[in-house]
Amino acid sequence: MLAELGHFSLVLALLMAILLAIYPLWGAQRGSATLMATARPLAIGVFLFTAFAYFCLSWAFFENDFTVAYVAHNSNTLLPWYYRLTAVWGGHEGSFLLWVLIFSVWTVAVAVFSSSIPREFLARVLGILGLVGVGFYLYMLLASNPFERLLPFFPVDGRDLNPLLQDFGMIIHPPLLYMGYVGFSVVFAFAIAALIAGRLDSTWARWSRPWTLAAWIFLTLGIALGSWWAYKELGWGGWWFWDPVENASFMPWLVGTALLHSLAVTEKRKVFKSWTVLLAISAFCLSLLGTFLVRSGILVSVHSFASDPTRGLFILALLMLVIGGSLLLYALRAPQLRSIGRYQLVSREMMLIGNNILLSAATLVVLLGTLLPLVHKELGLGSISVGAPFFDQMFVYLTVPFVFLLAMGPLSRWKQQSTSALGRHLLMAFGISVSAALLIGLGSDSFSYMATLGLVLSIWILVATVQEVRQRIAGSGEMFAGIKQLTPSHWGMVLGHLGFAVMIIGIAMVTSYSQERDVRMAPGDSIELAGYTFQLQGVEPLRGPNYTGHVAIMDIYANGKKLNHLEAEKRFYTVQRSVMTEAAIDVGLTRDLYVALGEQLNNGAWALRVYVKPFIRWIWAGALLMAIGGCLSLSDKRYRMAKLAHKASTSEKPQMGKASAMGEIKRADV
Amino acid sequence: MKKLSLFLLPLLLFLLVSVFLLQGLFSDPTERKSSLLNRGVPDFSLPDVMNDSIVYGPEVFDNQITLLNVWGTWCVTCAYELPFLTQLREQGVRIVGLYYEQDLDPDFGAKSLRQIRLDIDKKLGQLGNPYAFNIFDQQRSLSLDLGVTGAPETFLIGPQGKVLLHHIGDVNERVWQQKFESVYQRLSGQALNQQESVR
Repeated sequence: MLAELGHFSLVLALLMAILLAIYPLWGAQRGSATLMATARPLAIGVFLFTAFAYFCLSWAFFENDFTVAYVAHNSNTLLPWYYRLTAVWGGHEGSFLLWVLIFSVWTVAVAVFSSSIPREFLARVLGILGLVGVGFYLYMLLASNPFERLLPFFPVDGRDLNPLLQDFGMIIHPPLLYMGYVGFSVVFAFAIAALIAGRLDSTWARWSRPWTLAAWIFLTLGIALGSWWAYKELGWGGWWFWDPVENASFMPWLVGTALLHSLAVTEKRKVFKSWTVLLAISAFCLSLLGTFLVRSGILVSVHSFASDPTRGLFILALLMLVIGGSLLLYALRAPQLRSIGRYQLVSREMMLIGNNILLSAATLVVLLGTLLPLVHKELGLGSISVGAPFFDQMFVYLTVPFVFLLAMGPLSRWKQQSTSALGRHLLMAFGISVSAALLIGLGSDSFSYMATLGLVLSIWILVATVQEVRQRIAGSGEMFAGIKQLTPSHWGMVLGHLGFAVMIIGIAMVTSYSQERDVRMAPGDSIELAGYTFQLQGVEPLRGPNYTGHVAIMDIYANGKKLNHLEAEKRFYTVQRSVMTEAAIDVGLTRDLYVALGEQLNNGAWALRVYVKPFIRWIWAGALLMAIGGCLSLSDKRYRMAKLAHKASTSEKPQMGKASAMGEIKRADV
Repeated sequence: MKKLSLFLLPLLLFLLVSVFLLQGLFSDPTERKSSLLNRGVPDFSLPDVMNDSIVYGPEVFDNQITLLNVWGTWCVTCAYELPFLTQLREQGVRIVGLYYEQDLDPDFGAKSLRQIRLDIDKKLGQLGNPYAFNIFDQQRSLSLDLGVTGAPETFLIGPQGKVLLHHIGDVNERVWQQKFESVYQRLSGQALNQQESVR
């Protein structure tokens, strides 16, 4: 019964979305206040009905209602209750319901937090969101209904959740990632609404910035969590695989990062307007493309959902409408945009252009690498695969100039920067970073060019960031007073850049200095790796709620002292008949010790894999720092909507507008 | 006008990409061109999995249309296709198994030949036995020569011992209808005609 109610609730949500797509847009065109006023209640309605449908599906999982086909395919009575609740997004249909739920949350958030944005503009934004929503809801109801029943013959027990997904990381990874993906739909709606209205000014950029930031924060965390989960769960110590689906989440992130910077320029300096709009549209389009790639089964990936061509066709049609339509609108409207600001060759604008070019190039590299195998095959040239070496190499080439500009951008002024002052700073940063990296590199046991390059790059960022903060507070005389004066959004930028530096250290060290051994060990045996002694105490049988298996008990010694006691598991999930490794990891700031249990050999011996991964935590710590930086920026008073409304209304008077723009140039924070 | 065309570029790029996406949707991502197509089955001499004393060579494919199905009891997807293959056998399709065992079972270590046979009997007893017989590819030598990348994979071999189709992944009703059936019918039609002309 509840499943039918859930289904019906989804239909109602679709109807609401259809109304949301019609009334407010029409009202905005006709200038009818009554029609525009429907936008908010309709958005809330869409959310409430979707939330109820989501609740119904969760309940079916909780109660083990195997008459619902989706539940029967993705759950089992032996599954612990918390995994039963997260199993809701363990398969295609349910994860799309989560996607739609999150979409409706964003829509409501726009409706609630944007009360001060002009009525007409808000109505258009919500209308566009409704329009996109119609596509999502239709797709779900027609091609992937999670409430389908298996009546009259239903199984006594379910087929269990994919064991890969029975992990804490997996509980929060998809929701965060979807928050990021779908969050870009808001930015997209703002861009389209502005294009329709023909009013792409700096207020548009200012309204879009907090939403872009929010989506970007979620996407950053989601991707980092995914990487952490893969490291822990897949059992061979890798943290990024250049898998098509990872790429699909990485592309919106790259474009989102470019958009964050480009929006800043558009807001402050009123330039790059058409470029910024294109980025805002692309971020969401790439999210949609990612969804298509994951859910159509068009590419081979560990993430693929069970696929059938009709679903793929439906999403492709949706893609054509949303992306094709918005790019057409862009092609028609963008030529009318005028950028009025002027700037010199050495200026912050130019640095940010560089940033955008490099990030876009990176996006293109990932896009090409992901789609090339497909294109190659469809052209009849045979199957090829584009592997990690290609991406790794390209990203080294792209990162070096990117980091070079990253240090220069914040140090430069808008409009024009004196070359000699910038040169002095850079010379100093360069000297410090190269000598520090060489000292560290030569001081270590083995010298690696890649690790040294990574160190140079991250110290370069570090020094330049410190210089920038010093330069900024120098004007205010006393140091602490100066530090207090810096805005949260400025600290956000500092943290974001430092996070990137931390991440580069992690990546460079892990790729250069990881050590691993595949060994055969009997209980009592011990091996040495990178100064650590791993001793196998024994392998014992293991019994969990829905799996059996073995656990290897390993003691680790360093310099004769016992360091830790690790238990690496190998689980056999009985219902799905699949084997999973649960690696045991001794976490450390400067290194991880990682043990994975392999196959049983004869005479009680086991195959084991042991890794020492230096600085790997820094990769995720860097991502976390970036996300915290994003949160700091988001907390900046500039984005409080009520204040914005006031400013927006005053800035329409020309002389006031000029004054406030001047004030911002002086503050000059990105 | 020149400016407009610049702004049209993203749209055109997207349309180009979507053409490929559309095409890709209807082709199997796991499909690969087999290097063996239209060539003879490589030479081999391998025993029956159930009986070491029977040894097979390429001549087992002579004068008959055969599906050569690569499988193992450890392979989950293979279990899915067994019932459908059994149906095919009942319709008169000759199916020969190419059995190979993984070096080590991920859970329980190396298996004895006796255990392998027991497992095969059990599996085929449960899900149906589509095979006329099973060739035991002990060292995976024939699999290697055939370019097998995993299990299940299925080859359609013509009466002259030529490899005519190579499918990676399970054979189900849809795959059979779309990929195999037309070729199979054409071949068996030819075979009939030849028989009649001999008469």
